[in-house]
Amino acid sequence: MTIDAKVLRDTLEIALTRDDFAERFYARLFAQHPECQPLFKRNSAGAQNKMFAQKLCAIVDAIEEPERVVAEASAIAKTHAEYGVRDEMYGWVGDALVATLRDANGDDWSDEAERSWSAAYEALAAAIRAPRAG
Amino acid sequence: MSASESTESNIELPWEAQARKAARPCPHLVLAWSVDEPARIGESLAIEGPVCLGRGGPLSDDPAPRGVLAKVRPDQQLACEPIANARISRLQLVAEPEGDGVKIRSLGRALMRINGATVTEGVARHGDVVEIHNAAVFYVCVRPTRLPQLSTWDAEHTAPFAFGGPDPFGLVGESEAAWALRDAYAFAASTDRHVLLLGESGVGKEVAARSIHGLSPRSARPFIARNASTMPETLLDAELFGNAKNYPNPGMAERAGLVGEADGSTLFLDEIGDLPEKCQVHLLRVLDADGEYQRLGESKTRRSSFKLVAATNRPVASLKHDFLARFVHRIEIAGLDQRREDIPLLVGHLLDHAARKNPTVAARFFEVRAGARAEPRIAPNLVARLLRHPFTHHVREIDRLLWLAIGTATGDFIGLTPAVESELRDSATSEQEVADLDRETVARALADNDRSPTRTAKALGLKNRYVLIRLLKKHGLSVSADADGSDA
Repeated sequence: MTIDAKVLRDTLEIALTRDDFAERFYARLFAQHPECQPLFKRNSAGAQNKMFAQKLCAIVDAIEEPERVVAEASAIAKTHAEYGVRDEMYGWVGDALVATLRDANGDDWSDEAERSWSAAYEALAAAIRAPRAG
Repeated sequence: MSASESTESNIELPWEAQARKAARPCPHLVLAWSVDEPARIGESLAIEGPVCLGRGGPLSDDPAPRGVLAKVRPDQQLACEPIANARISRLQLVAEPEGDGVKIRSLGRALMRINGATVTEGVARHGDVVEIHNAAVFYVCVRPTRLPQLSTWDAEHTAPFAFGGPDPFGLVGESEAAWALRDAYAFAASTDRHVLLLGESGVGKEVAARSIHGLSPRSARPFIARNASTMPETLLDAELFGNAKNYPNPGMAERAGLVGEADGSTLFLDEIGDLPEKCQVHLLRVLDADGEYQRLGESKTRRSSFKLVAATNRPVASLKHDFLARFVHRIEIAGLDQRREDIPLLVGHLLDHAARKNPTVAARFFEVRAGARAEPRIAPNLVARLLRHPFTHHVREIDRLLWLAIGTATGDFIGLTPAVESELRDSATSEQEVADLDRETVARALADNDRSPTRTAKALGLKNRYVLIRLLKKHGLSVSADADGSDA
C-alpha cells in the first residue's frame, strides 16, 4: 500500500494546531487500555506529550528517508523494551493515534488519510518490532 | 607619480586589522523560550539575508535558504540541529533584514505576534519580541555575527560551563555584554590593583566580586565580604584593622580585622558609597601599594597583601576623589536593559535554584523526564513580557517577579498572573510617543545625561539605545556634542 507523505504531513499539521493533540491521544489510549498507563510513569504528562508530538513529527518529516525512519524506530524499540512495552500494545497505540488524528482533522479527514496513516504506522511498528524479532 | 612613489601601502596596521575583522552588526533572532526544546534557549539566528525558519531540514519549495540557529560565544560559533519543535511548522517564518530591523513573514500554522500584536507580517527591531503562539518566543537584537574576541578571559583554563548555564563564578548570560563583563573581570583579576564595581542595585555586584576573586591567583584563599553600610562609624577602624589583645578593654580578644583576614586574598566591600567621606579617609593609607596598617592598640605596622573590590550603586562623583583614585579598575556592570537576551537564561537559572531549595516548587511546576526534574512549566507570555519590562533592580527583580508568579499561580505552571501583570510595564514607549519627541527634548535629555546613549534612552523612556539612535538620526543629532552643537 502506498503512503502519501503529503497527506501525512498535512493531516499532522492540522492535528498539531490543537494544543491538546498529544493529551487527547494518551487519554484515548489509557481509556481503552488502562494497562498501558503504568508504563508512562517515568515522565510527567507534559513532558510525555511533548516527546510524543516531537517524535511523531520527526518520523513524518523523515518519511521519505527509510534509513532515518529505521534509526528512529530502533531508538524507540530500545527504550520501549526497557519500559516493558509488549508487542500487542503497538496495535493499540496505532488505533488510538489514527482515531485521534481523525478527530482532530474533522471534515478534512479522508479515506486516503486513513489508508496512509494506517499503512505508515504499520510499517513503523514493524520496524520497531524487527530488532526484537531478530 | 611613478608606481614606486605611491603613498599607498599594503601594510595593515594592528588597529586597521581589528576594525576589518570586527563583524558587522546585524539583527538576530535569539530563542527565548521553546515549548519542546527548552534546552535550546539562547541559540540565535543571524539575519544577514533572507532566511526561512521552520521545523526540520530544508524543503524543496523553501523561498530562501534555511536559517541555522547557533550557539554563539566569543571563541565559537556552533551550528545547531534543525528545530524539532512539533508546534512549529516545517516552514514557519521567512525573515530578511530591513533597515535596522528584520522583516518577518509568518507562513506557519501557529499565529505570530510581534510585541503582543498578532500579525502575519511585520518589522521587528532591537528589543522587540516575536512570539510563535504556544511554540516559541524570539528576542530581536542587533549584534555582531561574531562576538568580539576576548582579551583576558581564558576559556581553556577556566572550568567549562554549559551554554546558557552559570559560569563557574555564577554569572549567567551569553550576550555580548555578559561576555564583555567576564573579560573585564578577568582583566581586573589579572592585576593586583583595587577594583571599583559600579552598577544599579541587583545587577550582580557580588557575583562580579566573586568572579574577580575566583579568576585571580588569590582564589585559593577565602573570599572576605562585608557590607560597608552596616559598619558603625565608631567601630570602623576595629572592623577594618582589628585590635590587639585586651584593647580597648581588658578581656578583649585579639582580632585580625577585615584587612588582616583578607591578607593574600580579596576583600569585597559592598555599598562603599554609603561610607561617609571621613570614613573613606581611613582606608586611604592601606589602599596604597604597600598595604600598611596598624591594629588598634598596637604600635607595630603590619602589611596586608589584599585586593579590595568595592561596589556602589551611587554615582562615582559621590566618592571622595582621593579615595576614588585608589581604584585603578572601574567596572560598570551592565544592567538588564543592555543584555535583555540573557533574561530567559536568568529566568531558567533562578527557577532551577528555586526548585532545588523548594521541593514543593519542583513538584508542582517542573516537568519530569526519565524520573528526574526537567524544565519548568512557564507560560510564554510571561517570558515575552519580562523581555520588555524596564527593570530597575535587575536580577533581583526577576527573582522577585518569579516568586510572585509562583505564589499567585492557580495551576501547575508559572504564568502571567494578574499580580505579576500589575507589576510589569512595557519598556517600549509607543511608536507614536517616540515620534512625538521633539528635537529640543531629545537634545536636552542627551545633555542632562552626559551624552550617554543608554542613560538618555532610559530618561526618555525608550526601549533601548537603538531607538534613541534612530531618533537622533531623525533630528540630525549626534551622541558626540561637537557633531551637532545642539547643546552648545
